[in-house]
Amino acid sequence: MGQAFQAILEEKIQEIANVMDHLMRHEVWRFGPVEISSTVRNTWVIMALLFLLVYLATRRISERPRGAQTLLEIILEFYYSLIDGGLGKKGRVYLPIVGTLFTFIIFMNLSWFIPGMIPPTTDIMTTAALAITTIFLVQVVAVMQKGFIGYLHHFGEPIILLLPMNIIEELVKPFSLTIRLFCNMFAEKMATSILFILVPLLLPVPIMALGVLMGSIQAFIFSMLAVTYLATATHGH
Amino acid sequence: MNVGFIAVAVAIALPAIASAISQGWATSSAVNAMARQPEAASEIRSGLLIALAFMEALTLFSWLIALLLTFRL
Repeated sequence: MGQAFQAILEEKIQEIANVMDHLMRHEVWRFGPVEISSTVRNTWVIMALLFLLVYLATRRISERPRGAQTLLEIILEFYYSLIDGGLGKKGRVYLPIVGTLFTFIIFMNLSWFIPGMIPPTTDIMTTAALAITTIFLVQVVAVMQKGFIGYLHHFGEPIILLLPMNIIEELVKPFSLTIRLFCNMFAEKMATSILFILVPLLLPVPIMALGVLMGSIQAFIFSMLAVTYLATATHGH
Repeated sequence: MNVGFIAVAVAIALPAIASAISQGWATSSAVNAMARQPEAASEIRSGLLIALAFMEALTLFSWLIALLLTFRL
């Protein structure tokens, strides 16, 4: 009795170790020196899905919205309310940045529910790429808004002694964005998988329902922080 | 079994406790504020979400450190 239990326990521990390997990216195709990892393939699948959905929804646009167009307009209103909170009505020119970030991240986070799909956000490379792109864009927007001299000047505010602190602050921003999104998604997927191995029946369902909430909140937080950074870049501290 | 695993357990448990307490405080004051002023609820909610994300991030950073420590052991 005791030995049988021990054998089952060891098997479960081995399976939990395998989950980690399963969530890691691995090579699927190779074109000469270019390696296509599973993360890139999954991202392509999501991009194709998004293109298809948006094409189908915007095929027949009319003055009086009906069908899918109504849904798109509700989503657009949500983006406007997100931007108006941080940047005001003038900030609506940044809709392409914020809207794309939110849509892309929420689709990647919720792609967990497509069977066989591993969300690209459980790979630190995806989140790092998103965060670095966002922060680089914020710097470009700051230079465009304040001019190059004004941009350099804001590093010396309020006094020149705080220059190192301001530089560190700018460097930490992409790091914290990366780690926040990656850790939330990876920890949540790990927890669900381990629970699924231990108790396969019914117990993972509420945790997966929580995963829907977590995925949407993380997408919201990422775009909200992008709006906040844009607001500090355009208005100063 | 290595004694170092205790270090990993402490490294994930202490920040989790701290972050749970601080999140509880933040949420309780936010719910209080929402009950007093229901018309300001949406602004309070978005502020609360941002604050919770920052507190959550600290636990997740320490989780990452704990994970790296596990591989070292």
